[in-house]
Amino acid sequence: MSAPVQSRQRILDRIRTATLSVAKDASQLADVYAALPRDYIRRGKLSAEARLALMIERLREYDAEVVESTPAALPASIAARLALSGKHTFVVPHGLPAEWLAAGFDWKIDHELTTAEIEQAEGVVTAAFCGVADSGTIVLHHSPAEGRRVLTLLPDWHLCILRASQVVETLPEYFNRCQQPPALATYISGPSATADIEMTRIKGVHGPRFLHVILVRDQGARPTMN
Amino acid sequence: MRASLFITCYNDTLFPETGRAVVSLLEKLGVELDFHPKQTCCGQMHANTGFRGEAFSQAKRLVRLYQDAETVVVPSSSCVAMIRDQYPGLMDELGSDALRKDFAALLPRVYELSEFLIDRLGVEDVGAWFPHRVTYHASCHGVRALHLGDRPYRLLAKVRGLELATLPNVDRCCGFGGTFSVKNAEVSSAMLAVKLQDVVSTGAEYCTALDNSCLMHLGGAMHRQYAGMKTIHMAQILASTEASPAEANL
Amino acid sequence: MSHATSTHPVLDPLFAPPFPQAALPMLRNPQLRKNVGHAIDVIQAKRAKLVVEKTDWQQLRSTGSAIRAHALENLGAYLEEFETRCTAAGGTVHWAADAAEARQIILDLLRKENAGEVIKIKTMTSAEIQLNPFLQAAGVNVFETDLAEIILQLGEEEPSHIVVPALHINRSQVREIFARSMGLKDLSDDPHALTAAARTYLRQKFLTIPTAISGANFLIAETGGVAVVESEGNGRMCLTLPRTMITLAGIEKVVPRFQDLEVMLQVLARSATGERMNPYTSLWTGVTPGDGPQRFHVVLLDNGRSSILTRPKQRQTLKCIRCAACMNACPVYRQTGGHAYGSVYPGPIGAILTPQLMQMHHAQSLPFASSLCGACYEVCPVKINIPEVLLELRAQVVNQERSQFARFVDPMYLGLRIANLLFAKAWSFHAAQFMGRIGLRFFTRKDGWIHSLPSIGAKWTQTRDLRGLPSQTFHGWWAARGPKSSKEAK
Repeated sequence: MSAPVQSRQRILDRIRTATLSVAKDASQLADVYAALPRDYIRRGKLSAEARLALMIERLREYDAEVVESTPAALPASIAARLALSGKHTFVVPHGLPAEWLAAGFDWKIDHELTTAEIEQAEGVVTAAFCGVADSGTIVLHHSPAEGRRVLTLLPDWHLCILRASQVVETLPEYFNRCQQPPALATYISGPSATADIEMTRIKGVHGPRFLHVILVRDQGARPTMN
Repeated sequence: MRASLFITCYNDTLFPETGRAVVSLLEKLGVELDFHPKQTCCGQMHANTGFRGEAFSQAKRLVRLYQDAETVVVPSSSCVAMIRDQYPGLMDELGSDALRKDFAALLPRVYELSEFLIDRLGVEDVGAWFPHRVTYHASCHGVRALHLGDRPYRLLAKVRGLELATLPNVDRCCGFGGTFSVKNAEVSSAMLAVKLQDVVSTGAEYCTALDNSCLMHLGGAMHRQYAGMKTIHMAQILASTEASPAEANL
Repeated sequence: MSHATSTHPVLDPLFAPPFPQAALPMLRNPQLRKNVGHAIDVIQAKRAKLVVEKTDWQQLRSTGSAIRAHALENLGAYLEEFETRCTAAGGTVHWAADAAEARQIILDLLRKENAGEVIKIKTMTSAEIQLNPFLQAAGVNVFETDLAEIILQLGEEEPSHIVVPALHINRSQVREIFARSMGLKDLSDDPHALTAAARTYLRQKFLTIPTAISGANFLIAETGGVAVVESEGNGRMCLTLPRTMITLAGIEKVVPRFQDLEVMLQVLARSATGERMNPYTSLWTGVTPGDGPQRFHVVLLDNGRSSILTRPKQRQTLKCIRCAACMNACPVYRQTGGHAYGSVYPGPIGAILTPQLMQMHHAQSLPFASSLCGACYEVCPVKINIPEVLLELRAQVVNQERSQFARFVDPMYLGLRIANLLFAKAWSFHAAQFMGRIGLRFFTRKDGWIHSLPSIGAKWTQTRDLRGLPSQTFHGWWAARGPKSSKEAK
């Protein structure tokens, strides 16, 4: 047996011996797991309105700027926000809806952009998968409309379009929405921060320092999972 | 109501006045107290220092001694915590089936003093008088092992003349920790220094607690430093009356 | 005082001085005690508010504890599941029985990549195996990217906390370190300026160094995924930009399902930094074409963990999710800081983990570095009963002593053995009390107090007086008063 295989076997043998009296066999494992106590809050109690209000409050607590819009007004809202930023060059995921690409800006669509090209952009615009109101968390699953991870990492300015139907109150409700676990995910709950020097909180070490959210009130629309 | 007093080895040796106060207090409240003359120690010092076999032999002895007692009262939260939290493990590991059964039967009958007063006797006002400014130190065992909660405060609130000063960082350990006070004497002293600052800052004349172990540590530093404060076990405050004030025993 | 520590701390349990000795210079360092106290107060205050707000906090702790305990009881099955899934997703899983093997595996991987440089996300596991000096000696330049780790690396310092490792270093010391190593003579000591300097220092490294090393907060068996929890964004940089990623993780990091993160993430951030959620959490599974590193390796580390699984009361040690809430709550840690523990894992968790990783051959003073106050257990998000484990380990250390020569000369050991004999019978106990009273009379002053004692007694009297033994014991008084009379009860 080669050394790597030996170590693997040695470690697994040690573990098996150590847990002999408690380990379950394959047939029982799932049942035992399913029987673990889960008495924590699995679903929120807030109304849809209150939930959205909480999401906005939490986002603003960490200095993200939030404006509301409707599906019909969305392209105009995006255009207005971009104009206000004073920025001109934006990277976007290749799956971003075309109608969001307001006229008068330099759009770099991510068809395998180089890192240098992304570095040169002044901002990025994406969709999102979910928002968790309890912690003001924006969840990205990096789908075609959300983009590769590097797109929301290098630019200093991020505009995120979040639909009201995507907002849940609690973290377990987000997990419940995942029909299957995502291969890639990024959970954003604030700009980058450090408190390593004398516990002084400093923002924006790496990653976008400016987060803007447009919350789209798509109240008629049903959420993808309940 | 009958109760058997387990005085604890260190109270017996170092703080007999606490025991006398417990007797005076409980007999005044109508408790028929007895005292098993063969009692020695609950084994906590040994258990906490890693001498489990030795601790077990003391635990076994204690269980045998009190197996017929109706109720056991202990004026020390750390000793009660030892019996509640560590005896089960010792019994499982080293005890016979018979001993385990006897212990299980005894356990619910063991009370720390404030638990006995409030839960068993159902009294908060024990008719005490102690006209001094007092601060209460919540011993770790009392807070986290016994979950005494507000029992001590309810008792102190009914003591006539007593002015209770809130202790900042009341839940923070004083640094005694049994043999820790000697094995890690310098760290223990650092923790003591910080705790003493909080205690003295209350402007109280007395610092009280339900454990003489903490009070021995705090009081020892107060005395060394001429801090202008003294320690006193809560039993002595509760037993203090106009006719028989606590100071006479200090 | 220009340097935080008067001697360079030894965080290797093989060589570190015993805790009581290691703690001394820390206790004499006012700046350290102030820094530690301040950091702890900040996090504790934030945590306390959020715990009150989270009405299901105790239920989350219960489930967190249950998930971790279940994962450990079935560790073999879950590790194999993780390996299968991670491999299917394009990752390569390596198994390292000990620190030396893990170091070599990582070095071999770097050599295959011709990597002369590597960027690192903070991982205490890599400090545990002393990876950096090993790689440096082999000619690989290691660049830490976490701000605290940069400070420690450039300042040649050691971590003193597992979440805020540089908390013992103040801003002027950071300024000095950065000015010297980054060549920034006019750098101010304002934390904003210092952080900006670090950001600039790192940017080019992130964009150009193609190989990264990370740790893992959680390994997900169900998917083969890895989760990394951070605040600064250097993690995202290292996880996204390089070509090759090597993740080092202790075998105990595995959780059964993706869904388990709904509990773990809620308790981790609140416990570690007093936030509802940390700024960035990254989750990735194997290799995703077009996004992130195309070569991904996981190095699973045993290094003594499997030996901790054996005993149920000790197995709970491995439930730890490295939040550091225990050390923030610890009144001992508050006064000594982390370096006194002689390990990269300090505080209450360090006191139980370090000696066990050493299979009780080293760091035997650590289980005694506690007053057993229980504050750590109260805050642990996965309910590790640290006092219970401390007591188990103390018993093991004493059992070792029982066969050593020291037992004949160690006054504490002798004293306790004798005390046990004396407690066995009332007459011997009473005789000892009597002898003690006589013996201590010599040391008792006129005011009835003892100011100074010899031998181990001196450890008490160096800072505390002791009231002299009263002339009558309680049992003596009880016997003397005869039949009960409430009038005489005084």
